[in-house]
Amino acid sequence: MKLFSKILMGAAVFGMMASGEASAAQKIVMDGSTTVGPIAKSFAAYFTKTTGTEVTVSESGSGNGAKSIINGTCDIANMSRAMKDKEVAAAKAKGVNPVEHVVALDGIAVVVNPSNRVQNLTLAQIRDIYSGKVTNWNQVGGPSAAIVKIQRESNSGTQDTFKHLVMGKAYPISKRAETQASNGAVKSRVASTPAAIGFVGLGFVDGSVKAVKVNGVTPSVETVKDGSYPISRPLFMYTNGEPTGVVKQFIDLNQTSAGMRMISELGFVNK
Amino acid sequence: MNLGTRKVLDRSFTSLGIGSIVVMALALLVVITPIVYNGLGAVFFQGTIEHRKLLQDEFHRGDKAQLEREIEESGRYRMEAYRMLGEFEAELEGMDPVKARQYRMQLGPVKTALQGLLGPIPGEEPGILTRFRYGQTRWEKAEEKLHELLYESKWDYSDPNVMAKEYFVRRAESFEGTSLLPLFSYVEQNAEKMLLPRFTAYWGFLFDKSVDAHIFGGIWPEIQGTFFLAIGAMLFAFPLGVVAAIYFTEYAKDNLFTSMLRSANSTLAGVPSIVFGLFGLAFFINTLKVSESKSVLAGALTLAIMILPTIIRAAEEAILSVPKTYKEASLGLGSTKWNTIVTVILPAALPGIITGGVISLGRAAGETAPIIFTAAVSVGSAIGLADVLSSPTPALSWNIYNLASEHEMASEIRHVQYGMVLALVSIVLLLNLSAVLLRARITKKLKG
Repeated sequence: MKLFSKILMGAAVFGMMASGEASAAQKIVMDGSTTVGPIAKSFAAYFTKTTGTEVTVSESGSGNGAKSIINGTCDIANMSRAMKDKEVAAAKAKGVNPVEHVVALDGIAVVVNPSNRVQNLTLAQIRDIYSGKVTNWNQVGGPSAAIVKIQRESNSGTQDTFKHLVMGKAYPISKRAETQASNGAVKSRVASTPAAIGFVGLGFVDGSVKAVKVNGVTPSVETVKDGSYPISRPLFMYTNGEPTGVVKQFIDLNQTSAGMRMISELGFVNK
Repeated sequence: MNLGTRKVLDRSFTSLGIGSIVVMALALLVVITPIVYNGLGAVFFQGTIEHRKLLQDEFHRGDKAQLEREIEESGRYRMEAYRMLGEFEAELEGMDPVKARQYRMQLGPVKTALQGLLGPIPGEEPGILTRFRYGQTRWEKAEEKLHELLYESKWDYSDPNVMAKEYFVRRAESFEGTSLLPLFSYVEQNAEKMLLPRFTAYWGFLFDKSVDAHIFGGIWPEIQGTFFLAIGAMLFAFPLGVVAAIYFTEYAKDNLFTSMLRSANSTLAGVPSIVFGLFGLAFFINTLKVSESKSVLAGALTLAIMILPTIIRAAEEAILSVPKTYKEASLGLGSTKWNTIVTVILPAALPGIITGGVISLGRAAGETAPIIFTAAVSVGSAIGLADVLSSPTPALSWNIYNLASEHEMASEIRHVQYGMVLALVSIVLLLNLSAVLLRARITKKLKG
């Protein structure tokens, strides 16, 4: 039995070593959208630095954010779409009162590979591509190549908004569209596939992909802000009831000058 | 069969065996080499002065006096570049507005690239996010940024029927005849003097917290979270598993109920790990409410259930392989059953039991799916031992996935991803190695 106690000792010593930092008095747990993720992560780092409150951020999709706030397992749910009536009802049934806070505005950029000559698509063309009516780039002014459609998973708020603003109820997204689980994954798929088309939050667009003009409007901070870019939406943070204490302080970050600067540096739009 | 044929068969079988071992070794090499090479790159690299500034500002580490000297030294070369920029901006003021506007549009990307390379341009407000407050901290990244500054990427759309090809144009060409022209060759020639790269061993990569969502800093919170989760899982699963194995081998009657339990256990071992993850969320968090949010506790419990079948099976096999004569001798000397199990059978079976345990520990450390919904977060600080009951934690396995696919700057932080992968592989390897050593020692002790 000497060995057993040795092993236990080892574990105990390791435990002591690891328990260096004292536990913070208050903490904020956030869950939800990958689109809101960059804002949440930057706010969290800033908030921890300035107030000492520990903040953790999970990026598991808007749908999971809603579930977490309904089950009471997070303090703030990040969502890139508004809560659905069904979700609000489920929350009310559990005694949770979801309160909506708009943290920023965001455009959904339709992105293609930079090697694709297509510069401009109309909403109808995008709808036709995603519903499967248009299958080759040469039908919309591009080179002759079969279109690879990339969509998001059903859990995604970006997917919901895209369906709502572009597809409408009458045009379901083609079953042949490929599904990726995050904005980052869509971007890297489009960046590595010449004939691909995808859609990501404005903050995720960089040099590796090309955002096309939609109805002749370039997606940008200005066009989202003045409403001329057709595929834009607010980004939300939900709390259970009106926030108080550190949660309120955190939610209000987007009205401070530091918060507003973080939002615009990340490529999102201040409301 | 005559002797000749037998010899040929024998030789060909030997060569087949050696051949397959070589193929396996090669395959392993192909997988491991890039991980080790790129992973080590997270710790050992050509660090620029920006890296040293960051360390000083964020962690108060490094030689302050020397850093100031270096800042002054590199500053002299930088000032020259900024002076050229300023001169050109002054020249723009006096230019024909249409032309000036055209130049300004081309100047934007130049300034962005220069800022990416060297950090905030003096006179302009530095960014609030850490990523915009520093230039490139790694020399190989700086070289990429330098290329971005010198060349503009364009796409050749001339043939409407095919996908376009990328080509590069020197940015200097669009500023021909202006005062900005010398800037490009100046920066190209003096980039090293502006950034002062030198060989850096950044051990803090293992022991620092992350800065600005893993773009800078280290991975300590992840390493610690991985240890907490794996050891927590062991604390639950190991005693339970050994007790269950003792029950199966020594107490359970050989009837339908027992065989059902056994096959249930085997089935559990084959259940995909994501199912355990969802079960953990539904049972431990939403039903039992072991914690208010995701937590190390909930994650460890979920992992414990996942590795329990393996531990039970390994312990069972180990106990069964103890020679019957040991037990008979002990009972024959008048020992009780429980005493026999504790003093004779378990010590003899210990090497096998521990091997099973440590291999499970490695698996618990490496699994992603069970902790997605129960414990893991993409950003969080290292937590103290007091917080394991209530706080979620970052963990290597989940953060590798998160950084590689979800992070907004995934392609810029490949070195961090590889560093994490190497750390995880090393941890699992170390655990398995310690299992081998421990087993050898115990076996030797038992024999001696």
